[in-house]
Amino acid sequence: MREVEAKVSTTAPAETAPATTMGPVQTRIGVDVGGTFTDLVALVDGQLSTTKVPSTADDQSIGMLDALRASGVDLGSGVSLAHGMTVATNALLERRGARAALVTTEGFRDLLEICRQDRPSMYDLTEDRPPPLVPRELRFSVRERMGPDGVVEALDEESLASVVSALQEADVEAVAVCLLFSFLHPEHERRVGEALRRALPQVHVSLSSEVLAEFREFERCSTVAADAYLAPRLSSYLLGLAQLLAEAGIPAPFVMQSSGGVTEIEGAVARPAACILSGPAGGVIGAAYTAKESGYDNLLTFDMGGTSTDVAPVVGGRVQITTESIVAGIPIKFPMVDVHTVSAGGGSIAWVDEGGALRVGPRSAGANPGPASYGRGGSEPTVTDADLLLGYLSGDAVLGGEVVLRAELAEQALASLASKLQMTALELAHGIVEVADAEMVRALRVISVERGLHPREFVLVAYGGAGPLHACSLAEELRMETVLVPRACGVLSALGLTVSDLRRDYVRPFFAALPLAAPARAEAAFAEMEACAGRELQEPALERLADVRYRGQSFELTVPADDLHALADEFHLVHERRYGFRMEGEGIELVNVRLVATLGVRRPRLHEPAPAVQLPERHRSANFAGDWVDVDVLDRERLGVGSRVVGPAIVEFREATCLVRSGWGGSVDESGSLVLRRQ
Amino acid sequence: MSRRALDPVTLSVLASALGGIAEEMGSVLIRSAYSSNIKERRDCSTALFDARGRMVVQAEHIPVHLGAMPEAVAAVMSRDPRPGDVFAINDPYSGGTHLPDITLVSPISHGESVIGYGVTRAHHSDVGGNRPGSMPSDSREIYQEGLIIPPVRLVEGWEPVSDVLDLILANVRTPAIRRGDLRAQIAANRLAQERTAELIDRRGLETVLAAFDEVIAYAERRTRECIRQLADGVYSAESEIEGDGTNPDDILIRVTVTISADTVLMDFQGTAGAAAGNVNCPLSVTRSACYFALKVLLPADVPANAGSQAPITVLAPEGCLVNARRPSAVVAGNVETSQRLADTVLLALGQAADVPAQGQGTMNVVVIGGSEWTYVETLGGGQGASRLGPGPSGVHVGMSNTLNTPIEALELEYPIRVERYELAYGSGGAGKHRGGDGIVRALRVLEPATLSLLTDRRRHAPAGAHGGEDGRPGRNLLGDETLPAKVSRALEPGDLVTVNTPGGGGWGRVEGSA
Repeated sequence: MREVEAKVSTTAPAETAPATTMGPVQTRIGVDVGGTFTDLVALVDGQLSTTKVPSTADDQSIGMLDALRASGVDLGSGVSLAHGMTVATNALLERRGARAALVTTEGFRDLLEICRQDRPSMYDLTEDRPPPLVPRELRFSVRERMGPDGVVEALDEESLASVVSALQEADVEAVAVCLLFSFLHPEHERRVGEALRRALPQVHVSLSSEVLAEFREFERCSTVAADAYLAPRLSSYLLGLAQLLAEAGIPAPFVMQSSGGVTEIEGAVARPAACILSGPAGGVIGAAYTAKESGYDNLLTFDMGGTSTDVAPVVGGRVQITTESIVAGIPIKFPMVDVHTVSAGGGSIAWVDEGGALRVGPRSAGANPGPASYGRGGSEPTVTDADLLLGYLSGDAVLGGEVVLRAELAEQALASLASKLQMTALELAHGIVEVADAEMVRALRVISVERGLHPREFVLVAYGGAGPLHACSLAEELRMETVLVPRACGVLSALGLTVSDLRRDYVRPFFAALPLAAPARAEAAFAEMEACAGRELQEPALERLADVRYRGQSFELTVPADDLHALADEFHLVHERRYGFRMEGEGIELVNVRLVATLGVRRPRLHEPAPAVQLPERHRSANFAGDWVDVDVLDRERLGVGSRVVGPAIVEFREATCLVRSGWGGSVDESGSLVLRRQ
Repeated sequence: MSRRALDPVTLSVLASALGGIAEEMGSVLIRSAYSSNIKERRDCSTALFDARGRMVVQAEHIPVHLGAMPEAVAAVMSRDPRPGDVFAINDPYSGGTHLPDITLVSPISHGESVIGYGVTRAHHSDVGGNRPGSMPSDSREIYQEGLIIPPVRLVEGWEPVSDVLDLILANVRTPAIRRGDLRAQIAANRLAQERTAELIDRRGLETVLAAFDEVIAYAERRTRECIRQLADGVYSAESEIEGDGTNPDDILIRVTVTISADTVLMDFQGTAGAAAGNVNCPLSVTRSACYFALKVLLPADVPANAGSQAPITVLAPEGCLVNARRPSAVVAGNVETSQRLADTVLLALGQAADVPAQGQGTMNVVVIGGSEWTYVETLGGGQGASRLGPGPSGVHVGMSNTLNTPIEALELEYPIRVERYELAYGSGGAGKHRGGDGIVRALRVLEPATLSLLTDRRRHAPAGAHGGEDGRPGRNLLGDETLPAKVSRALEPGDLVTVNTPGGGGWGRVEGSA
């Protein structure tokens, strides 16, 4: 594994730029922009420092610069900077991307609107799929047709000319082109791209055969449309950011991709749809890294924030990747860290439904007004209010540097709902925690038992503002033995950014039965991708993969493809692990070949300093099953390597609070993670 | 609020846990099934029942399975099921729906006693009969539609009964795939036992049994509360199925819906008698359509179980189109008649509640087969518009919700070329809110083949609502020749089959019109 260095040209296109190389790096900085806060983590000689500043929604780069200045880190030479942002996600969610057009094969203009013909809600007949990124009046088609074996109907130049002139009139910022079978036979699509680029030099053109050469026309079309839709916004943001930083003498940042690897700015500009989900990816990478430092590599990650919770499995130290993601209703076929999200978090509102059941969420008080205890006008009780009334959160806790929780407001809100249920505010608070935990358990089961993984063999890594508060009871419910709370649990996405590899993903279609009749053809396909990788990165680590299925199956599994002769065996094995059986007699098909090229970051060892000499004795009354108990309250900043914690106790981290329930205990390990075990 | 057997917290937590078990069963079934019909199209459902045969929770992935399970459980309960048994059943005349849907029912035990049942149902892509795919357009008797399985022990002491399994596999065209799919169902049934036992370990038997009762009572409270909001009265509606495959004449469907306080009676008195073709429905399918129509009016989070179904009574004369008797053929009843039943009941309920205009009301089943291949597709169309907005275009409506086959996958697999697949702009009915547009799909066959179409709404348009105009009816074409709604034909290489699916009805008068 080689070191990644931050100095990257921001002007030359990736194709012709010198391959990215490495140099000495002393300081790694990750800046992750979230909805409310922008988090910064600096790793200097294995020691962590963190900074939190308010996000600047209109221009996220301002918040990034604020965080860099506030951190006090020397930003001179030897700095590697990585950035996670929500510019692309927000543009998709809020439909604030470019005015984009779509060009398809004649007879197929509505692929984006028909989708796969299924409706989003079985019983709500009024609910439609989210509107397509390209409206009907901006969908054009050219007369041509490719089939599985090549040209069925030649490209009609006249129809191309009329599409080009219609697009000159249409005043668009971007055009996506997706012709049938272009993943196998891109000639027509290239010709269309050439004509468009010549006639509309100011307009961004995305070709599906360049963006995602994979079969299944709807998903390919959806991905290339998202690519065109996002390109103008994302490139103006990133190029603006690079300039802003350059003026401040700070090197250009790497940008986090959904795959969990970073890319240079021009890489992100070239593939905007690959950068849609950078925040959750950073968190999982950060969790995998810190857990590895503690000696664990089978994990369920649990990131509970204010409005939502992300959970993901990490198996054998490897973050799991999917190509089946749907973001804001839009299928995106690029590799993404496989994260399952539920809309429940600290801000989720408790209520009683018409049938008399206590419910938590999906409505959330969000950051504004926030939970009742924020004192910003929220009057409905939330999970945070319940945690506060039970004494798990401190009445004088300061969240994100500005909000002070007010217990009397939490109690008011709880009491008002409790009276409707003929229970006390305290009983209701326990009920809210229990109902919220049940939702979290369900989410964790989806990513474990439902995929053939046994939670018992995994460690729960808790982070996010509310994760460490709820972790012990979830672990009990799932019969997990170990909970790990990283020191940077409030800013783990930013930490993940500092240790993410530089990554490029390549895919080529390859339809053939196994065993391969002509393995040389597959070898050539890999070699071609490896040559591309070699031009873009200097001596990258290469991983060959293949998408394989039993003949006739409508989905593929991605398996290692280092040995082409062992591909069938490998596939049987992966299929059995994932689905519980193999079909020895069935034919097997190789559908795509893939290459992942990475320049590995040297991941520094984390060092936890010794604890403060004198630990002040602090106590707080906390309620467990109706009984008030005096529990130790420990300041994580004063703990150090070897500090022991025995439940019931509360450990206050800088940006989160950990509740160590009775029956749990453990200590801070050498890398600074609090490792809790069932006693 | 009065005190109940379970407090609001335990109710919520256990409802979530029980729902989680049904969902995990569904996910194991989908994960470990072999055929794409289950794996990708998700034509399957899973459920937990209590010891009295009442459904507690269901994870249904397709609405046509909504009301069809209780009869299967009742049929199995009468055969003295023991812990470790798994019964298989597909006979529409003793608890099934149509033959491709095979239901497995297994007791859930605690010690020696049976405390409930785990149930899985999946659409198997071939169960024998006179046509590959077991969806013939020309069947006249149930015996032509495939192997009939009355409730039989498929598994005993958690070991497959090989005599029974061998008999089933000997009667289907793709035995290896059937074996794989049945194995997946058995694994999901077994999970019902394991997960319920774990829940009892954590919460205690008494609490779990109380939760069965209370989750049912909870759904019943919420359903009755919704029905109470509807104006009491007697509401009638009529509609029709466009032929039964033997005869193109309309077949009458009539329903009278009586809403009285917190109950609904749906009576199909006056509906046509048994059809000669295969559009007949056993009562379980009719119930599914009725439950679907009511569920459209309920908040999305009311669980489907015995409680939400208790306030609804469904009556139909014995032996009629919608309460079929042996040996009537039924395979299209599940597909096409069920759609029209839901439409007709919603038409009646629309006089008491705010419902959207009608959607396409058909699944547009297209089957093209050659010497060694069968391609089956269902096509979306226009959804009806509503008070809230226009109707979605090019989607499945009503009792189905399965995915399409990608064109690039289809052409790599079959000697067929797709020449057109796009929306028919303007086919949705006009209105203040427009109905959704239907689809045009044109297929050219490149080899000799046979064509089967099971479609509807080719003559009668999906109705608009509140002054909105009707959607445009669908149309089936072979070259320039218009084909009937249900038809089988031989195809020559180069023949072009074009299916125009119906548009949805519009909602509300167009601004400015009288």
